[in-house]
Amino acid sequence: MNKTKRSRFGIAAVFLVALVLFGVFYSGDYVLHVGVLVMINVVLASSLRLINLSGQLSLAHGGFVTLGAYASAVLLTKVGMSSTWLALLISAVLAAVIAVVIGIPFTRLKGIYFTITGIFFVQVIVLTVQQWRSITGGNGGLQGVPRPDSILGIEFASKTSFFMLAIVLMVVSLVILWAIERSRIGMTFLGIKQADSLAESIGINTTVYKVAAFAIGGFFAGLMGGFYVQYVSAVDPTVFGFLPTIYMLIYVIVGGEDSFLGPMVGAALLTILPEVARPLQSWMPLLFAAILMVIIFLLPEGLVGLPHRLVGLLKKRTKEQPDATS
Amino acid sequence: MLLELRDVSVYYGTAMAVTDISLKQEEGSIVSVIGANGAGKSTILKSINGLVSIHSGTIEFDGKRIDGSGTDAIVKAGIACVPESRKLFPYMTVQSNLRLGAYLRKDKQGIQEDLERVFTLFPRLKERLKQKAGSLSGGEQQMLAIGRALMSKPRLLMMDEPSLGLAPIVIDTLADTILEINRGGVSVLLVEQNAGLVSRVAQDCYVIEVGRIVLEGDIKDMMSNDSVRRAFLG
Repeated sequence: MNKTKRSRFGIAAVFLVALVLFGVFYSGDYVLHVGVLVMINVVLASSLRLINLSGQLSLAHGGFVTLGAYASAVLLTKVGMSSTWLALLISAVLAAVIAVVIGIPFTRLKGIYFTITGIFFVQVIVLTVQQWRSITGGNGGLQGVPRPDSILGIEFASKTSFFMLAIVLMVVSLVILWAIERSRIGMTFLGIKQADSLAESIGINTTVYKVAAFAIGGFFAGLMGGFYVQYVSAVDPTVFGFLPTIYMLIYVIVGGEDSFLGPMVGAALLTILPEVARPLQSWMPLLFAAILMVIIFLLPEGLVGLPHRLVGLLKKRTKEQPDATS
Repeated sequence: MLLELRDVSVYYGTAMAVTDISLKQEEGSIVSVIGANGAGKSTILKSINGLVSIHSGTIEFDGKRIDGSGTDAIVKAGIACVPESRKLFPYMTVQSNLRLGAYLRKDKQGIQEDLERVFTLFPRLKERLKQKAGSLSGGEQQMLAIGRALMSKPRLLMMDEPSLGLAPIVIDTLADTILEINRGGVSVLLVEQNAGLVSRVAQDCYVIEVGRIVLEGDIKDMMSNDSVRRAFLG
């Protein structure tokens, strides 16, 4: 490990310990609840970014979250599955399988056309759960989804316990996503993103990799859907519909698409923002759009680029100062 | 015969791109396809590479049919391509571009040896190893595109208009490079508009016009025949 790598790892470890300690010692239910939502959105944004890494701007993500949420809800309330953990796993795997099935035709399309199919997919999923009342409960959704079974003697009832579970799921998800990005697979994704036809001509099977990126992203989206429904114990068709999908993309861009940290920062800040700005609730979509535009125009590398920019500004100032005095 | 195309036709939708193309290349030779913009030169390379599917005819490489195989299988069989306008992975370093050229290879030792060989051919690339490919000059990008293609250890190197957009003096160096690669035992299929470059390196030449081969033979004979030169070679 070189120095920057080590210091990055160190910062991440310190941050993680702080997060755990916070969960242990802080007991305000509301703040812990927001914390869980932040962590769900961090995983959603990071997994969406992994799909973008392969050069595909996906707007299908909400569809996979909805699929995962309903898979767990239906399995646990209608089918009578007894293990919540198995249901959670099925949520993720089902979303990944569906991602492969629709990915094979969708990923043949490039650029904006691929993106449009994602919007279509989210709408199809939302309409399906709205109409298929016998299974999904229609517009009312499903309630009374059981909370996760106790594991290693830990009961999942308090906000603190969910906060801890969210930490575990988030950390595991992020480590896997990070490992994929740093592997040969991640490099191949980047190659496809930068020069699709060239990647093909050097013998990369671009279809396989594009579908794989889509499916990996779908897996974590489904996982978070399953976790969400077992946490709030209810789901309705539009919690992860079109607008939330757009939000996920905004998290990625506002935080900074080019860095692994970016979507995490974007998701955290933009999940907390609506909570601290409650009175502006109905203006939120407008506010998000405004933030997105400001970032695109003034800080295209995203919020993670801000420290670098500030340092640059400071240096410029200190350089100019002697000139001014002389 | 290393490469043999028999009556290959390719359609884009309902539009015919090339018709009844027949072409032969011996192992170790440099063969050239020459023609104007839109004549179908790139289409021929893409069909050999498996990037477009052919409508009729056959393509054989080393005695085995390769039409219908995936591009990965074709690259593995020993065909590499330097695409038109020297496409690179612009935001990756020179090093990563070269590594990706060896994408399908597993023999670490051989990859390292070929990397050294590319550096002997293009010492400039070694100096720019950590630089982003997109920040190189046109000539350097061409070197990198060729180097990357060589990293797959091809028996046949196909080049799509390598002279495009290069200064005349760089084209001279390019000709030397092509001859040197060929001396190393790699056959070269060169697609060009620049008859000057072709006549410096190739022997067998196919002239293509609106998707058909209209003339084939020795490039030097063609160049010395005035009417032919004026009609086809500009």
